[in-house]
Amino acid sequence: MVTSQAARNAVFRAIADPTRREILKHLRGRRRTVGELASKFTQSRPAISKHLRLLRSAGLVVTHERGAARLCELYAAPLRAVDAWLRDYEAFWTESLRHLKRHVEEHR
Amino acid sequence: MTSAGTPSDTIVQEITVRAPAARVFEAFTNPDERVQWWSAPGRFRTTSVASDLRPGGRWVMRGTRADGEPFMIQGEYRVVEPPSVVEFTWLPDWQPDATESLIRVEFTEIDGGTRVRLTHSGLTTERSRTGHRGWPQILGYLQDYAERG
Repeated sequence: MVTSQAARNAVFRAIADPTRREILKHLRGRRRTVGELASKFTQSRPAISKHLRLLRSAGLVVTHERGAARLCELYAAPLRAVDAWLRDYEAFWTESLRHLKRHVEEHR
Repeated sequence: MTSAGTPSDTIVQEITVRAPAARVFEAFTNPDERVQWWSAPGRFRTTSVASDLRPGGRWVMRGTRADGEPFMIQGEYRVVEPPSVVEFTWLPDWQPDATESLIRVEFTEIDGGTRVRLTHSGLTTERSRTGHRGWPQILGYLQDYAERG
């Protein structure tokens, strides 16, 4: 998957914050209104709305208008970028340790 | 190797080197040696390593990426117990909203060599909240998503 650096950065920034991770947790498996989400936190509703805006701009939350209420839904696809990043580190260490082995075994 | 399909922010890698633990520990920690093996052709080339090998001592590694851009990774040693354990923090300069992760390397002598076990943890834990592990959970969402199809 091709992910632009900017898009990936937005995802990392979005989930670096514990409140935003908590919001995602509450959205796991079900849609919730902004009011419902805000009621789960001690922070003010505007503060939660601000977090939601950031999550939306990172593509992790999508919203649907239902009458006067706004329903939020988790969209996890952008997290693939994070997973790919971890796999990349894994490959990096595999390679580095192989080099260490070769280095030591050839320079005794 | 990490087990497939287990979302985690920890990477564990193992390799066995045919040499005594003291020799492998030295190759891992001595900057003059590290600069020789810690490169990945096609990805990056390491040009210099500076290291103050003691608990609280700093280390810095500089190099050139495949695209020609310079990079720097630095950190601090947390545990230095030759020839068995070295633990250090890891802070790359290219990472967005830099998080400082932790690398622990254990050297265990086994028949005919040394088992090197590297654990890279806290890859996604923000610096100011060490210990808060939101990541495996986050990757859980991804797993749900992927399995849902």
